[in-house]
Amino acid sequence: MTLVRFLATRLATLAFVLLAVSFLTYALFVLLPADPAQLACGRPCTPERLETARAFMGLDKSVVEQWWDFLRGVFAGRTFGSANATLTCPSPCLGYSFVRNAPVTELIVGRFPVTASIAVGAAVLWLVVGVGAGAVAAVRRGTALDRGLMIAAITGVSAPSYLVGLLGILLFGFTLDMVPVAGYVPFATSPVDWAWHLVLPWTVLALLSAAIYTRLTRSQMLEELGSPYVRTARAKGLSERRVVTRHALRNAAVPVVTLFALDLGVLLGGTVITERVFSMPGLGALLMEAVGATDVPLLVGVTVFTAALVVVANLAVDVVHGALDPRVRHGGSSR
Amino acid sequence: MTITSRAGRRAGRSTPRRAALAGVAVATTLALTACNANAPDPTGGETTAVQQGGELHILTSSTSINWDPATSQNLAITTLGLVERRLTSWRTGPDGTTEVVPDLATDTGTPSDDGATWTYTLKDGLTFEDGTPVTSADVKYSVERSFAPELSGGLGYHKGLLEGGDDYSGPFDGDELDSIETPDDKTIVFHLDSAYGDWPWIVSMPAFGAVPEDQDDIGTYTTDPVATGPYRVAETVEGTSVTLERNPEWDPGTDDARTAGPDSIVFELGQDETVVAQRLIADSGTDASAFGASFVPPAQLAQVQQGPAKDRLVTSGPGALAYLAINTEAEGLDDVDVRTAISLAVDKNAYRVAAGGEISGDFATTLVTPGIPGREEYSNGVNDAAPEGDVERAEQLLEDAGWSGRELRLVVQDDAPNLARAQAIQQGLERAGLTVKIVPQAADVWTETVTQGDGSGYDLTLSSWQPDFPSANGNIQPLFHSSQVGGGGYNLARYDNPEADELIEQATEETDADAAAKLWVEADKLILGDAPVVPLIYTKNSFLHGSKVENFRIPDFPAYPNYLQVSLSR
Repeated sequence: MTLVRFLATRLATLAFVLLAVSFLTYALFVLLPADPAQLACGRPCTPERLETARAFMGLDKSVVEQWWDFLRGVFAGRTFGSANATLTCPSPCLGYSFVRNAPVTELIVGRFPVTASIAVGAAVLWLVVGVGAGAVAAVRRGTALDRGLMIAAITGVSAPSYLVGLLGILLFGFTLDMVPVAGYVPFATSPVDWAWHLVLPWTVLALLSAAIYTRLTRSQMLEELGSPYVRTARAKGLSERRVVTRHALRNAAVPVVTLFALDLGVLLGGTVITERVFSMPGLGALLMEAVGATDVPLLVGVTVFTAALVVVANLAVDVVHGALDPRVRHGGSSR
Repeated sequence: MTITSRAGRRAGRSTPRRAALAGVAVATTLALTACNANAPDPTGGETTAVQQGGELHILTSSTSINWDPATSQNLAITTLGLVERRLTSWRTGPDGTTEVVPDLATDTGTPSDDGATWTYTLKDGLTFEDGTPVTSADVKYSVERSFAPELSGGLGYHKGLLEGGDDYSGPFDGDELDSIETPDDKTIVFHLDSAYGDWPWIVSMPAFGAVPEDQDDIGTYTTDPVATGPYRVAETVEGTSVTLERNPEWDPGTDDARTAGPDSIVFELGQDETVVAQRLIADSGTDASAFGASFVPPAQLAQVQQGPAKDRLVTSGPGALAYLAINTEAEGLDDVDVRTAISLAVDKNAYRVAAGGEISGDFATTLVTPGIPGREEYSNGVNDAAPEGDVERAEQLLEDAGWSGRELRLVVQDDAPNLARAQAIQQGLERAGLTVKIVPQAADVWTETVTQGDGSGYDLTLSSWQPDFPSANGNIQPLFHSSQVGGGGYNLARYDNPEADELIEQATEETDADAAAKLWVEADKLILGDAPVVPLIYTKNSFLHGSKVENFRIPDFPAYPNYLQVSLSR
């Protein structure tokens, strides 16, 4: 019962947040002085043609009406144009990009695998490296190894991904000629090429983020290792390995998992700089294209989709929290 | 001309159009500091025999290619031209000339009715990729669909020229455009509102191709066009690549514009310009058979000029006109003496240094740009002043005109290259005692300020312009005819002179090329005498290609490589 209520509350919040985000995004772009119809008008652009373009794109309606059309489209789909030639945007329709002449949903679906490939691969890598290094540093506290790892972590936290990315391309791509410097190969085409093209972006992204996880895991571990229950566990005669992995690490994992889920959610919404540097056509690249072309429907669609990912990640955090920490699951209600 | 500061970078509907048409590239021009610009002869030497075979790679920052002719702004010699033929096309010679040549049609057009009616006959044996014959009805349908609001955004010069075009909204509701007649399968006749001598260039634009009505799905034509040219679209990987393969139905005997050397062409999409330049410098693997569709970034330009890739750098001749527009309706600026003073106070040399130095362009003196047939160099006592300007004369003129000394708002696009250029203008004008305030605006806001409304938001602005077709008409009419003030037009000086209008109309209607050219030179002199703009430089663009790429040439117009003739060595 409590779990159901827990989920229902969270889902209601989720829906509300998405509604708010979509409305705010619409309002924001409509308030801007830029006119998306200008680009769709062609050259030369007469005032009459501009009006026609505006009407066709639905820009002559009020913000609320445009937003309502958008919401309805998500569930019912949309069509534009006259009887004999229509542009259809099937449900779930996140808008229609007139600049790209394609439904936004289709564009997002086309780009998402790229971003997901980068994000998930990098996330796995940094989680393993970051948590591992953090745990080792905590257990070997004060040693040269600890200090070395911490220096590496600070360097990683401070380095801008644009620089590291380009340096990586220069060194491993051009000078050593070990990995491809650019492009994306779909997994379905060739899993090997897919991974081979992603090695560098994964490494660069993971290198930067792992640093944060190393520091976080280390400090959490130190706290846990110093707490009374660990002393009890040791006193019971448990092996040090079991103490560290089953007890300390598991409890230290709570904030790490929280951070991880949120980071992954954000990352899935587009790794703008990484995609740019490595010429990967992901969601981040799509967003940049939308900004460059004043493509409002695409901007709104991608923004809402990204927001949904972050909100879902939040939900996942709450659920996982519950699994890791029973106190959350039962809340105050059972006591 | 699209005026964009993101030429070539922006995700466009089509790969090269942004870079190409946006000769405009105010910002893309190179902020280069080292400038030992001994650019190789842009037009190359002799035409080497065209080698057949190989896979050409085109590296572009765009992330999609829009193949729909109705919504495309492609030049005749770039991406769309590989797949879709038009009534006429452009042939660029090894000497840099660009001429309009018949493509689907047997000639470049037969005028009648003093140039208000143009008749074309289709060549024999033309077919679509599926083997069905191309008929005049397919051409008519292709033009008609460009009027539909569903398919807006392309080059639309014809929409204002064809009779009844202003009230027509496409064929999808069953309406036809009566001013296009197809008396038989081979003949197509265009009736214009008034005589238009450059019509043969107009029908080289994308909309004047052929689209078979029974295969037209406006939702998918963007990615899946029906080919008439030497290539057809074989595969599209969204955001990643587009591969073209040979169209077996294409007959080289009917085509004067394309050499169709490579067996296949791969567009690699979404490439970072910096990485592209590095790849082309490294020249390994498939990159040896590749060229970059965007301008070489300034940092790499310096690197290339000192390295082994120098021979593979191709810099265009002087192309787009970069200019300072003076709002002739603004307070005090309606006085021609004040505008002349501004023209004399501008430091073109400082501007060029800010734009990247010598390799970024040559000093401009006339409105008609180099490479345009019939262009004439002339001096009017102002345009031939030293590049640094003539501050003394400017001061004198201002004093005589009783200049109020008010602050002038120089509105520019808000990006580093434009701001640097604006500062160069500001410093030049301040030498003559003029006060200039730089007002940076986001690109689309800037477009709105200078092309829409009453023009009260600016006194001066920086822009650049490359015509969509190589005629002085394209240099002058869009920038100086009074009908182009506001309402989306690019008469940024808001110049309104009935005498100039009349001359422009007269030249537009002239169907004899030489006579027209003379009239355009006359218009050039008349307009520049009124000093609505200050010509600054004719910009140059640089491109890089791999070592196996041959016949990679940039004609005098446009300042962009001709894709249709590029081939690969063995």
